[in-house]
Amino acid sequence: MTSVTIRRPTDWTGIIFAVVLTLVIVLPLVVVGTWAFTNVWRFPALIPQEFGLRFWNQTLARADVWSSITMSLTLATTVTFLSALVCLPAAYAFARLDFPGRNILFFSFLAGHAFPKFGLLVAIAGIFLQLNLIGTFWGVVLIQLVGTLLFMIWIPVAAFQSVDRRMEEAARDVGASPMRVFWSITLPQAGPTIAAAILLSFVGTFYETEGAWLIGAPQVRTLPVLMISFINNQPVIQYGAVLSVLLWVPSFIALLFARRVVNSGSFARGFGG
Amino acid sequence: MSVLKIKDVSKIFPNGNVRAVDSFSLEVADGELVCLLGPSGSGKSTLLRMVGGFERPTSGEMTIDGEDITHVPPEKRPTGMVFQSHALWTHMNVFKNLAFGLKLRKVAPDEIKRRVEAVLDLVGLAGYGTRHVAQLSGGQQQRVALARSLVLEPKILLLDEPFASLDQHLRERLREEVRDIQQRLKITTLFVTHGQDEALSMADRIVVMRDGKTEQIDRPDVVYREPQTPFVAGFIGTMNLIEGNVANGIFSKAGYSTPLPVSDGPAILAVRPEALDLAVASEGSQGKVHRVTDYGTHGLVDLELNDATRVKAMVSHPDLFRAGQGVTLAPRAIAAYRDGVVIHRA
Amino acid sequence: MTAIDAGQPVLAAPERRRPIGLLLVAVPVLLVIWLIIWPIISAVIQTVWVKTPEGGNSFSVETYRFFFSDGYSLSNLSITLWTTGVCAILLLVVCLPIALYLRFSDSKVAAYVQGLAIFPMFVPSIILSFAFIRVLGPNGTVDLVFNAVGLPKIRSPYLTPWGPVIGLVWDNIPLTVLILLSGLGNVSNQAIEAARDVGAGKLALLWHIILPRISNSVLVAISFAVLGIFSAFTLPYVLGPAAPEMMGPFMQRTFRELFEPQTAITQAVITFGFCIVFGLFYVRSVARNQAP
Repeated sequence: MTSVTIRRPTDWTGIIFAVVLTLVIVLPLVVVGTWAFTNVWRFPALIPQEFGLRFWNQTLARADVWSSITMSLTLATTVTFLSALVCLPAAYAFARLDFPGRNILFFSFLAGHAFPKFGLLVAIAGIFLQLNLIGTFWGVVLIQLVGTLLFMIWIPVAAFQSVDRRMEEAARDVGASPMRVFWSITLPQAGPTIAAAILLSFVGTFYETEGAWLIGAPQVRTLPVLMISFINNQPVIQYGAVLSVLLWVPSFIALLFARRVVNSGSFARGFGG
Repeated sequence: MSVLKIKDVSKIFPNGNVRAVDSFSLEVADGELVCLLGPSGSGKSTLLRMVGGFERPTSGEMTIDGEDITHVPPEKRPTGMVFQSHALWTHMNVFKNLAFGLKLRKVAPDEIKRRVEAVLDLVGLAGYGTRHVAQLSGGQQQRVALARSLVLEPKILLLDEPFASLDQHLRERLREEVRDIQQRLKITTLFVTHGQDEALSMADRIVVMRDGKTEQIDRPDVVYREPQTPFVAGFIGTMNLIEGNVANGIFSKAGYSTPLPVSDGPAILAVRPEALDLAVASEGSQGKVHRVTDYGTHGLVDLELNDATRVKAMVSHPDLFRAGQGVTLAPRAIAAYRDGVVIHRA
Repeated sequence: MTAIDAGQPVLAAPERRRPIGLLLVAVPVLLVIWLIIWPIISAVIQTVWVKTPEGGNSFSVETYRFFFSDGYSLSNLSITLWTTGVCAILLLVVCLPIALYLRFSDSKVAAYVQGLAIFPMFVPSIILSFAFIRVLGPNGTVDLVFNAVGLPKIRSPYLTPWGPVIGLVWDNIPLTVLILLSGLGNVSNQAIEAARDVGAGKLALLWHIILPRISNSVLVAISFAVLGIFSAFTLPYVLGPAAPEMMGPFMQRTFRELFEPQTAITQAVITFGFCIVFGLFYVRSVARNQAP
């Protein structure tokens, strides 16, 4: 409670939460990080017997790791590009134009969130089966593209709507054509939020596991899919650990850039909070 | 150099059948500053936005220097608009805000630099070019917005409540500055405001608007002294409007009566507080003092007629009056209205 | 408004914009119809309108009857229901105190706690699975520590029903906290102070003032978690037992390994049925918050 005491008492509740959450959330990741830089760690030593980069060389020498890195990057880039291509104009239309059925179409993007996700993926896979899209690159692209639609439309819509109409009118007033207004005023103003949406969509696609596993595996093998097979079948622990660290890099970048968006109230409201 | 003519312009918004602007006509002479004054919803902003090209009139036509601009898009009109919320482009610095329009007109870079610096100097912001918009104060931002319009040398300058978001003190200072600049450049200007002080102190002429129509167009002093309708009388300054009846040349209302040489029937008597003399009366009082407020330079007496109609009077010696006293009223200047028009003035 | 408009009747303006707006939203809308709405409808039709041996089609609930009479399917369904229920309760028990603390604290520690609570959002579940095994799995970190202080090894939750529960709760903490926190933002400080002024203790405050105001957010958070957990795949697949398995891995195995798409789709429709109430409630709440 925000009490009106002059001297702030020690925040014991906070310290307890901080300690417990650190143990539960940070520690497991530290353990994985330690494994990645460990040459030898035999039970029951608390600390690895030998640190080193030996398994980085071995992991990065594996052909399946490289091919899945390439696959993941290609997939995420393709999906994000296509998603931006179809979603940003749509977002602009939802934010600024009036057309019949605007509201119902806007909310239609929620449809995917009214159903348990994997059940929906199985239903989609049923359709893909008839179209021979199972096990193909474009099948995975499609299924991941659908997953990005909601965010890639809703976040940019909010961004476009928050651009002051008067700013655009002022630009018309000094002689800019509607297209020029869009390029010189609207887009730069909405830019940072849209960039965050694109980043989130790229990262989300990069880590998408379920659609890739159901539709793509084993022909289309992304990093997360490879990771599953490492966990299931790979006796060398360090491979998985090194891959985890590699895999986490995009997430780390997203963490740096998207914090502001995620912490803002509108993000949580987007989830119905 | 530039004359703006608005002829029979109406605007009906698609949703709802309200005529936001109703057959409005106005001619703004070269170098003149005309104020559109009215309460919110009177259609003054809609009218200004139609002149700027941001709304399309449902009917009527507008010309600048004889050239029809009714259907010309805003980017092709020789008008410059200053918005209430200044609407500066926050992703550009001050210089770029001013240079944007010039760049679109393919003006040479060194010419752009010269003109931007000249205008910044004009609005008192010399050397502010590299500042970011967010680093400026509210008054500075509004000056940049003005400069952004002026740098393009528009034929008509449009100001949409430009000082509404500023505090009282700053508003008064900017008001004078804008008026100075306008007179120095002799630029034809249309100014929208809902503040009568602003209109009275800046305008060459005032257009009082109500429900999309003109109530009165006149010089500020005339609008103040000789309001043509009871609406204008009530809207500009403080005015006592007493609704009563005239019989045999005598206006009466709840025990108060005064000669009024008009035909019999209902009438509204209008008296400014500063034109109403009061005298303490133990007998034959026409009203009762309700409250006395001393403003130092003068005092204001609120009084009630016998039926609780409120009347205000300005007095030079407020200490002469106290609540509960009976007073007699002696107006020095009156006007009378019937059916929305003035029928007598004395 | 462009120069081309000049001279056209003004009232036609909204009509003329229509085709452009529809055109711009057409591709994503068609994608939603093709890849979300149609598959759902198709899944329902396909499972009740089945091919007869004579080559025609007829209405039949045979696939559903099979699911609900098959002991293995039923035990998979019940483990899913159990996991979902336990996770939902645990999430509330864990996240409500965190959210309450974050709402009413302004100390420096609170910023750190908030950062930690949101952090799992940036940890993909596959990395989480790996970390889980390294910490709680056989000879994992917990075992190492227990061994070092002379305690016996733990009974590892890895490959037991508790494995997915722990993983899913971990994974869902950030959004649950964010949604609850957003709901708590609607509880004004004045409301709290007024209640304390009339003598409400902390528990009374929580029960009579705070909880009634955030009940909708609690339901939204639970709905969101249920929708995510009921058909979760990765965590149960990697961390859970081989049998009985949760609906996610069960559907995947039926589809890809047993190659019985019809049965898998039946299972999918059954998960829709169990989640429909949560789904509709969730969508309704989001839609109410997001009018364009």
